[in-house]
Amino acid sequence: MRKAFAQGLIRAAEEDERIVFLTGDLGFRVFDDFQRRFGPRYINVGVAEAQMMCAAAGLALEGWRPVAYSIASFATARAFEQIRISITYPRLPVLIVGAGGGFFYAHAGVTHHAGDDLGLMSLLPGMTVVAPGSGEELADLLPQIFRLSGPCYLRIGGFGEPAYPCAEPATLERARLLREGEDLALLTTGTLAGVALQALDVLAREGIRPIAYQVHTVKPLDLATLDGLAGRVRTLVIAEEHVPTGGLSAGVAHWATGRPDAPQVLRVGPPDALALGNPTLGRLRREVGCDVDGLVRACRQALDPGRRHRAGMAVAG
Amino acid sequence: MTPDGRMAPSPLLLDGEEQLIPMQAKDIGWLEAQARRIRATCVQMAYDAHEGHLSGTLSCVDLLVALFYGWLLVNPSRPRHPDRDRFIFSKGHAASALYAVMADRGFFPRQWLLRYAQEDAPLPNHPCAHALPVLECSSGSLGQGLGIGTGMSYGMRLAGIDARVVVLMSDGECNEGSVWEAAMFAAANRLDRVLAVVDNNGVQAVGRSDALMGHTSLAEKFRAFGWAARAINGNCLAEILGALADVPFEPGRPSAIVARTTGGAGVSFMQDDVLWHYRVPSEEELGRALDELRASPIHKD
Repeated sequence: MRKAFAQGLIRAAEEDERIVFLTGDLGFRVFDDFQRRFGPRYINVGVAEAQMMCAAAGLALEGWRPVAYSIASFATARAFEQIRISITYPRLPVLIVGAGGGFFYAHAGVTHHAGDDLGLMSLLPGMTVVAPGSGEELADLLPQIFRLSGPCYLRIGGFGEPAYPCAEPATLERARLLREGEDLALLTTGTLAGVALQALDVLAREGIRPIAYQVHTVKPLDLATLDGLAGRVRTLVIAEEHVPTGGLSAGVAHWATGRPDAPQVLRVGPPDALALGNPTLGRLRREVGCDVDGLVRACRQALDPGRRHRAGMAVAG
Repeated sequence: MTPDGRMAPSPLLLDGEEQLIPMQAKDIGWLEAQARRIRATCVQMAYDAHEGHLSGTLSCVDLLVALFYGWLLVNPSRPRHPDRDRFIFSKGHAASALYAVMADRGFFPRQWLLRYAQEDAPLPNHPCAHALPVLECSSGSLGQGLGIGTGMSYGMRLAGIDARVVVLMSDGECNEGSVWEAAMFAAANRLDRVLAVVDNNGVQAVGRSDALMGHTSLAEKFRAFGWAARAINGNCLAEILGALADVPFEPGRPSAIVARTTGGAGVSFMQDDVLWHYRVPSEEELGRALDELRASPIHKD
């Protein structure tokens, strides 16, 4: 996905000469082409995320469209105050890019975990929050993001996430239908879309066909699609690589509180806890039920409420 | 070219009201009288609005007077002129001094000062660019103005605009690490159109900045970060104007003026006293202050 981002950024910068790229000293070799082509429109700020956000704000005030890039944990939490005051308070069109969002860097340790990036950015008024699931999806969304008039946070994963076939192209602020179905809905965000599609194949062999949506835009949430689902399914299974507070399930649960007919929301994802032990991403996803088996299990249980208690799953909303 | 593709206009080619000219600083006596009027205005505003922060407000009045009446290329009737000097008031808690000077220069009506710090007024106790769009940016959270200013300066260089960026900061603000991230960036990118002016009044909200910074020199710190820095008396208009005339101090380096000032400068009983960071003057104190200053508030003439 990072390669897709670097290439999409070059395409966007060719079309829009206001685009300026800032990095907090990260992205070794990923942005060499950009730097070669655009010279001073590439700025390595150094390991100084606060300055990166303030400088991006200053550039935006002068009419530029800055993109501020770092590892997700540093791009969001480290510079939260600067984003809040210098970027979202004046509603500036700065694109903040967090690479390796969620637990992509699980094995690197807690300092590099960003299971709170979507929540932190969603807290900020006027911030659009996007987490694509593949390079293709990101490439679809990036030009739309550059047309926003306000700030945006873009969580991107790592390298080589597989493309997935989709029923429709990705439209910003609209949940993307991955596969039609019935009885229950499976919602994902970020790179769990690919995992969900594998789970759907397993479930299909059992005759279980959830309606699957990739909710790449976590904020603003696509309420029209949720409203549509409210009449069609009894349970929404939400898989997220995010802590329980502030992510997709929290947003959907908030929507559900305003609707007496809302489906039950069943969340699959990491708990509110430190992920100690330097787990690989694969192990972490397995342990929190965000692998193929976990999503299959969750969907089966969603259709059989009696088994939910034994599985110890969190029910929100 | 500007980012939106227009040619950046040169101030030399513009006529009439389009021009950017520094207001002609008459003489030092005139400027000193002006500074007294601005101080009287600030004390009156603090009294009327029951808002404190007079210590750090009065300390920076001479700096603001020198900048706005003698140095900045701005035009109140064209506040968004692309070639204007950008002024960032990073010590937002001293807003009344900024408001008084901007009102006096004609950026907005003086009568607005009567509603300072009132609900829904254009002049809140910390400057808000939504409420007062002639501001370059809002402020109130310390340590961000210099970073924003460096980004603006970089952006203007990309656009071929030669204007300067001035950031007025407090010394307490220099406790923030983000100030030094910005200082590093400005030096690394040779942003010699950036001028940081530090109102070094020595008092913070609770303590004294010298002790909190380990008795080290701010000018030396800026120099160590690759800036050209000069320490001056920031309550002496002649010294301020002398330093401003030499900016940039060295080609290729950002400039810092570390201006030693006195908290509450100009009003004897407010001077150099941490109490006056927050204290609101009583009616009796307001009267004494105006007597000492031998001036009336500009919005009550």
